[in-house]
Amino acid sequence: MNISPNEAEEALAAIQRMTQKTRQSIAGSGAHISLIITGIVWLIGYMCTQFLPGNIVVYIWIGLSILGSILGTVLGIRMGRRVRSPSTASYAKRIGIFWLLLVCYCVATIAVAWPMNGRQLTILIVLFIMVGQLAMGLLFSYASVWWVLPITALVLVCYFLLPGFFYLWMSLLGGGGMIVLGLYIRFRW
Amino acid sequence: MAELNETIHQPVRLRIMAALVTLEVGNEVDFTYLRGLLDVTDGNLGAHLRKLEEAGYIAVNKIFVERKPRTFVSATVEGRRVFQDHVAALESILKRK
Repeated sequence: MNISPNEAEEALAAIQRMTQKTRQSIAGSGAHISLIITGIVWLIGYMCTQFLPGNIVVYIWIGLSILGSILGTVLGIRMGRRVRSPSTASYAKRIGIFWLLLVCYCVATIAVAWPMNGRQLTILIVLFIMVGQLAMGLLFSYASVWWVLPITALVLVCYFLLPGFFYLWMSLLGGGGMIVLGLYIRFRW
Repeated sequence: MAELNETIHQPVRLRIMAALVTLEVGNEVDFTYLRGLLDVTDGNLGAHLRKLEEAGYIAVNKIFVERKPRTFVSATVEGRRVFQDHVAALESILKRK
């Protein structure tokens, strides 16, 4: 089979366009969805934690967590209808058990380490969530692993170096960073 | 040296393979979603998928999801290899330009 250089160029351009369109459409197996939703929850939740009294903040976090979980599940199901990973489908039950056990271990760790202040409690929960995300990414989709590490590093830097602005930092850099990263993956990747 | 593949070089099949190879290994895409992505008709897509399946470049998986029949498509290991060879052949033609 012989083709001219111009035809080869056109074929390569078509491949590149299709690759980009597919990437943008599925955007790293939906990593952008969880990033944007978690980012919005963090942005609002931690901003409120920094500036509002504790008794109001508890209700805000409960509301945000429920809203975030529902949104994440609905969008995840929609994404699952487009692209299906047989490995994920066959391990759905184990994934559920893993997250349930992780929550139990997190609660146990908090109970052992109690009493803790708000910052310590927050960072411990965040670290457990990040460990869960890492495990899922390593098992099923490398695309959703790489963003966990810088976000964890940002959170730790803030915890140790800027304790007075911990929640503000978590809100703007953690939450805002996730939203920007999610949008970048969606539109530019 | 990598060679051009006649089956893959057809424009619609080239775009199908480009889309499927972009997915992570083992992941499969819904027929309806792929049709929208390529902007082709059901019949057109079905015909090209059959050609690629016969060549062993893609796998077609028909399953029931919530009691509704669904068709998922993925690139096989052989399909990925042949597509990469085809891209390499195209690039080498350009280099000789």
